[in-house]
Amino acid sequence: MPVKGIKTVTAARNGVGAFILQCKRLDFHYCNYGGSSRGMLAFLTQTLPNFARENPQIEIRVSPRHSKHPIIKGHYINGREKSICVRNLEPTDILAKAMILKDASGEKLKVQKKPVTSLNESVRGIWSPYHGDLRGV
Amino acid sequence: MKRVQLQRWSSTVLSPRAQTASRLHQHVFPAGSRCQSTASPLQAESSAQEGLGDSGFEDVELMKHVRSAHRRKDMLKYPSPPVDAALNSAKLAALHARLYLPSRLPPQTLARALVDASADSNPDFNNESLATLGHDLLTYYTTEHLLCTYPRLPLTVIFAAMYAYAGPKTLAAMAREWGVEHASLPGGEVDPGLLQFRRVAPGSDLNVLYNKRTPRPYAAQKAWRMTVTSKIFYDDEFGDAIKGPENSGEGVTAELASATFVRAVMGAIYLHAGRPAAKRFFEQHFLSRHLNISQLFNFSQPARDLARLCARENFEPPVARIISETGRKSRHPVFVVGIFSGQDKLGEGAGASLIEARERAALAALKGWYLYSPLNVRVPSSMEEEGAAPWKPVYVDLGEVIV
Amino acid sequence: MATSIAASKRPFVTLPFLLPSWSDSLALGSRRYQSSYRRTKQRLRVKPDATFGSSYQGRDQIIYNPPSSAPSVYHTPSKFLPSNDARRSMRIEDSATGNVTDKVEELPNVYRSDPERKYHLTPADVEEIRKLRLSDPMTWSRHKLAKRFECSPLFIAMVCEASPEKKQIQRQVLEAVQSQWGPKRRMAREDRKLRREAWGRDE
Repeated sequence: MPVKGIKTVTAARNGVGAFILQCKRLDFHYCNYGGSSRGMLAFLTQTLPNFARENPQIEIRVSPRHSKHPIIKGHYINGREKSICVRNLEPTDILAKAMILKDASGEKLKVQKKPVTSLNESVRGIWSPYHGDLRGV
Repeated sequence: MKRVQLQRWSSTVLSPRAQTASRLHQHVFPAGSRCQSTASPLQAESSAQEGLGDSGFEDVELMKHVRSAHRRKDMLKYPSPPVDAALNSAKLAALHARLYLPSRLPPQTLARALVDASADSNPDFNNESLATLGHDLLTYYTTEHLLCTYPRLPLTVIFAAMYAYAGPKTLAAMAREWGVEHASLPGGEVDPGLLQFRRVAPGSDLNVLYNKRTPRPYAAQKAWRMTVTSKIFYDDEFGDAIKGPENSGEGVTAELASATFVRAVMGAIYLHAGRPAAKRFFEQHFLSRHLNISQLFNFSQPARDLARLCARENFEPPVARIISETGRKSRHPVFVVGIFSGQDKLGEGAGASLIEARERAALAALKGWYLYSPLNVRVPSSMEEEGAAPWKPVYVDLGEVIV
Repeated sequence: MATSIAASKRPFVTLPFLLPSWSDSLALGSRRYQSSYRRTKQRLRVKPDATFGSSYQGRDQIIYNPPSSAPSVYHTPSKFLPSNDARRSMRIEDSATGNVTDKVEELPNVYRSDPERKYHLTPADVEEIRKLRLSDPMTWSRHKLAKRFECSPLFIAMVCEASPEKKQIQRQVLEAVQSQWGPKRRMAREDRKLRREAWGRDE
């Protein structure tokens, strides 16, 4: 057989064709008695329905957590989770925290050094010392 | 050509149980409301049925509790979740929205696409039929894209590229990237937003379990030569022997179940939203993935193949010439060799020995031949769009080099 | 006095090619080190060359600046383009303007001499080759036959096959040789084989 095929798998490029939001679930935990949950309770009754309507991709769970500070926990497609404690925060601040969790990719934060990262090979190819405008010595 | 209204077909996809449920749903819930919270999925149901309640119960809370317990008990009887449970699943609604599925595709069908044949053997409630349709669509769109974009690809490389775009491994990775979770065991009480399938018993040999469906005669003779032509005839779209459990009761691997789900989604979109939506879904989710086709080749004797190719196409015989070199007498020499046919350079390669550089150059030349792509590629299925330009025949090549 | 001592510590003419330019020589006493950002940028500033200017004033032109990298395999050679492809005529126009060098004949061949194909063996010769190889495989090896009939050893292998006994002996010889190899040599041979397979995958 002159040529064989090598079996591989295509690599995902989220956002090139379709975009899949990486946050798949947000858990809102509150306490009915604790003072630090006052803002959270207001958020759950006033802001959360609107937030849920605007982000239908996210599954939202609300559950009490007795005698604890309120937290928001985000579950991501890559299997990781991130949680933010929102004790004593106002509803607008809690919304900002929920937006942080919604927009996160789930990866650990890291410094991006290159302006562009791409799977495509560069247009001009990889530089080689044996090509291009060669000069004789 | 007469166009068939797909919406009319799509009603047959939902089983009778599903249809009544969706009609009931229209009465109870206003259109457009989402069931996004899992706080208490059964509350809406029980409140709707409250009028029929037994007057013997004074305590409403207790009655609700008893009712939901009865309901759960009922659900345990089914092998897969009942159809109306799809309307109450937050996971399912979130998955529907995450994939930007058309609103014409009801959540009940998506829930059905998540039920594998190994979980529910009733063909009215599992995804086998949807997956069959989706698989045919996927392989059709992939094949026409590959054949029209790279008309000279050898068949083995087409098999590899098909596998890369629409093979079970890729589809399973896609299901993972869509955020689909697996149920540990299928059953009526399970959230319909989870992928449900019966797993293979641990310790069972997949090669024994799965090698039962191939139509190839003498498949047990492993040492016999398998020609590429026989792969077209006996094997699947990826050049592999057709595999799969003999009956659905034996369980499937997670990879196979995920792949079946992705195919079923494709089939469901085609049935409910029509051809353009299915094509768009294919382009956005499958074709947009990254694949470097030039890395799928594995040559054994490129120089010989190139000589045969030049003889077939009536080119001058290929000659390898040194373009530049450095350190011939050193420990790390580098030679840049070009393959020329007459005055034209066909390819070039660099290597640590003259033979290596020549092999690489011949390989580059062969890839240059095989990876030819015409300008302004159109695929046959683009003729199905409204107001498509008249069809011009695509470039069809003579075929691969046969040595 | 103090200034002269300082000057002797810092020689006037350090490496001259590191200086920004002679016109830019400010006070030499306050010279700074190469690590300055401005100086590094200044080094990249090139004097305007005659070829930079637009000689064709008022006309559209394309600057041809080929990449210094190995050509991409997606760039189909002109010879491989089908006759009705638009790119073919475009490249012919391009080569007609004189961009292509016609020094192909001057480049050295990879092999010292191109083997002249003679096609001189008759069916009778082939029969004799087979007979000799079968009758006495120990004396009439591939290379000896190739020398006698003035053809390549490859051709001998194509027309006839060694007898099973000879193959068996040869296999035993090979095994005896390989049993003498130490771990280093064995690994080196295996690596060589793997490298050779990697050529075909272009790795």
